Amino acid sequence: MTERGVRRVFEPGTTIDDLKAYMGPFAERLGYKFNTETDFVDEVLSSEIEILERDGDVYCPCRIRTGDPKEDLKIVCPCIPFYRDHFAAISKCWCGLFILKDVEDGAELIGVLDDPAPGTPVEVPVVRLRELPDGAIRHVKIGKNDVAVARTGDEVFALSNVCRHAFGPLAEGFVDGYFAVCPWHGWRYDLRDGTTDHPNADVRTYEVRIRNGLVYVIVPFAG
Amino acid sequence: MNVHLYALSTCPYCRMTKRYLEEHDVSFELTEVDQLEGDERQQAVDDVKRLSGGTSFPVLVADEQVVVGFNKTRIGEILGF
Repeated sequence: MTERGVRRVFEPGTTIDDLKAYMGPFAERLGYKFNTETDFVDEVLSSEIEILERDGDVYCPCRIRTGDPKEDLKIVCPCIPFYRDHFAAISKCWCGLFILKDVEDGAELIGVLDDPAPGTPVEVPVVRLRELPDGAIRHVKIGKNDVAVARTGDEVFALSNVCRHAFGPLAEGFVDGYFAVCPWHGWRYDLRDGTTDHPNADVRTYEVRIRNGLVYVIVPFAG
Repeated sequence: MNVHLYALSTCPYCRMTKRYLEEHDVSFELTEVDQLEGDERQQAVDDVKRLSGGTSFPVLVADEQVVVGFNKTRIGEILGF
């Protein structure tokens, strides 16, 4: 990490330690850490270096590029942002290189885990509380859900990011007390329940939990 | 039983699955999809998508049954360990 953010440069001769230095803080911001099984971590990262040298980027060692650039971007490591709900449901990324921060022993997460039943509530870490200051509102993609996470005072709320009026992005607007204000035409949504002053144009809200400095949004597992 | 393992040369779970099958003396056909090129590779990717519904590895096919990932329990059930 630098003051200007994450530096992502893979020079020829990139090492496992280089990848750890880049990916560790990246994953931490998303509520994850490297698996506690260090030999396994080194095995995965050494595969990623092989892939980097062969294919030009650190693609997941357990999935294959299809040739569709949009799809292939979704398997560049760490791929957590694309699969937030699924990975939160199984406490790890697909290959188990990263595990949720509050998991103590990553050994049992190596291998396949069964997905929960569709509809099961999943706690998805979305942002560190200190990166969401009072009055901030941020867009987070959770599976297919476009969610705006907003803070007012010490309280954090989550609601659909999409304004019901003309589909404006609420997270590009601002927070005014308990209201998210759409940047396009000023429609106001109550952060507490998603209501607005127009009839039948409320937006969906999500339950939020804050634990160990992380904001979690609860979504039903999509399956 | 006809056992076919689709794998990637870079994938730790593929290595674990191979080891697991070998330990149980299962003979299997192995396709390392990332080692293929051109049409052959595309055909293998298409097969994996059709069989598993995705592009994640390993994919083990035993007769009509498909297991995605290193799922020891499922593999054991199917192969009768």
